[in-house]
Amino acid sequence: MGNYRVQVNGKTYEARVEQTGKRKFKVSINNEIFECHSFRSDEIISWSLHRNEKTLHARARSLHFDRVDVWLAGTPFQAFVHSSTSGHFRLSEGTRQRASSGEIRAAMPGRITSVLVKLHEQVDAGTPLLILESMKMQNEIVSPKSGRVKSIRVIDGATVRKDSILIEIV
Amino acid sequence: MKVKLLIANRGEIALRIIRTCRKLGIRTVAVYSDVDQESLPVAYADQRYPLHGITPSETYLSIPKIVQAALDTGCDGVHPGYGFLSEDSDFVEACREKNLVFVGPNPKAITKIGNKLAARKTMHEAGVPLIPGTDEPLKNEYEALEIAKSVGYPVILKAVYGGGGRGMRIAKSDDEVRRFYRVTKLEAASSFGRDLIYMEKRLTNPRHVEIQALANSGNVISLGERECSIQRRYQKLVEEAPSVAVNDELRGRLNDATKNGLGAAEYTNAGTVEFLIDQENKFYFLEVNKRLQVEHVVTELTTGIDIVEEQLRIAFESELNLSQNEVHVTGWAINGRINAEDPRKDFSPSPGTVIHFHAPSGPGIRVDSALYSGYIIPEYYDSLIAKLSAWGRDRTEAIRRLQNALEEVEIIGVPTTIPLYRALLRDQAFINGQFDTTYLNTFVKDMNTELLELELCAAAIAAAMRATNLPFRNRLQQRFQRSYWKASARATTQRRSM
Repeated sequence: MGNYRVQVNGKTYEARVEQTGKRKFKVSINNEIFECHSFRSDEIISWSLHRNEKTLHARARSLHFDRVDVWLAGTPFQAFVHSSTSGHFRLSEGTRQRASSGEIRAAMPGRITSVLVKLHEQVDAGTPLLILESMKMQNEIVSPKSGRVKSIRVIDGATVRKDSILIEIV
Repeated sequence: MKVKLLIANRGEIALRIIRTCRKLGIRTVAVYSDVDQESLPVAYADQRYPLHGITPSETYLSIPKIVQAALDTGCDGVHPGYGFLSEDSDFVEACREKNLVFVGPNPKAITKIGNKLAARKTMHEAGVPLIPGTDEPLKNEYEALEIAKSVGYPVILKAVYGGGGRGMRIAKSDDEVRRFYRVTKLEAASSFGRDLIYMEKRLTNPRHVEIQALANSGNVISLGERECSIQRRYQKLVEEAPSVAVNDELRGRLNDATKNGLGAAEYTNAGTVEFLIDQENKFYFLEVNKRLQVEHVVTELTTGIDIVEEQLRIAFESELNLSQNEVHVTGWAINGRINAEDPRKDFSPSPGTVIHFHAPSGPGIRVDSALYSGYIIPEYYDSLIAKLSAWGRDRTEAIRRLQNALEEVEIIGVPTTIPLYRALLRDQAFINGQFDTTYLNTFVKDMNTELLELELCAAAIAAAMRATNLPFRNRLQQRFQRSYWKASARATTQRRSM
């Protein structure tokens, strides 16, 4: 049926897919065979996966053309799938760009319990910048690179949403 | 039972308590914070009472608000669950002043084992072996250094009023004692309100075993032990009953120590005495938990006793309607705490929307959870979202059943600790019962292998998804996406119908 390039967690897998039945597919990745059977076309599609004589149940949905969300064993995975002939990963490059821009975003919603740096301060990679409390846990947010604190967008006690910008390092 | 009970808690434990109350015909009142308005315990309770606010300190930890709620709704008593106000002596006092029954220990027992040092003293006098350490709060750094020298490194600095695995620091040298003395004191002051700290020797690779007890004025019965060595940052993650490390002889001695200790404290209601067991099978008193514990489920599975019911009977009818020879431990039970934490990001919290939830079932399976499809896990409270437990005739069967349950459970939308347990239950050392409290730290590597396996499977499914060309645009996202308009309309209707 075709060859696909699948990217999960920044890793790329070459997958070959053959249709073997009405809703059955044989996928080979790294010389391993996965038999996939979708047995209900609900809004979130149910999949049964056979591999090495073991069966796993998974759910998957695709909200965008090339993006597939897969849930396996209580763990979410986000995959980008491209036909091998159709070039490169548009979406994944976007995320890479964001990581290097020096904007430090909240990985989770929560409350800022303390800001540990001052404006224009020089920081090294690994310097603790602030403490974000979420679910009773204190999460130290460290600088991903060395540089200067360009802006601080939060104050002590501020409530932040997921992905909101906290600090900018240049 | 002709009483009305306020449940001063939230989430799965509030639901757990409501279930027993419904069985006994006790009317219930659920209190809730602004973000818990649409939670299951609030829907299941006979009456609702808003606490107006979000953070724990302005809601579930607010003694005046909770007491007022109980008085306004005409409750006879309060069940505190675990965490929040469950071990707060000021709350117990506030309830007593207003003639509210506190479902928990009596004030006398609280003075005798209220903080960690008082508990050490009471236990010591009852002849229970203690971990070498101090009997009084540390006065200064120099005293700390002297004691560390006499008990030998490594040592643990602990907050006298601490709890929940926080306020502790391990020191391996004089240098570290000097460094951590002040930090631990500061932490104790900010987290627990009092800066008293003390010191204990740190045992090498101990096991954590605890005895679940029910007591009425010092008359104590034991419901057997629980094995809680699978921990991370002093937080228990997997609990079993009984323990592979405890033989009949040791069990007898642990039960005796529990009965003597709680007897000396004239303890009332459910309580747990925690012990550490060293590599020579010697046991030491660790602490007393004066409340219903998260892991009480495994004891309920092996004894068939509804611990919450016994708590309520002791609190309201002042009687322990069980005797020791009516307690029979049958088979084996194991529980995994499912937390909204991301194992791929060093277990950082992962609050968010659960777009789909499916609970496992089958013989011997028990699920304690307040999740439902569309539920939003708030970021303000604990990360525990479900407890998955399995009972079997023996340990192997219990483990197999829990494995099945972990295959079946679907919590879609947020990362959870499920992959950790999948890997753990397959691990040979765990299956053979060879583990201690340090085990999980070394185990995380195996979990990463498990995650890589899953990643590969996810890639296969993603490819198959793409190949099917099924009409993927789905409406589920829209269905569960919160519309603030709808949410507020729903809230208004709910308020009107109250």
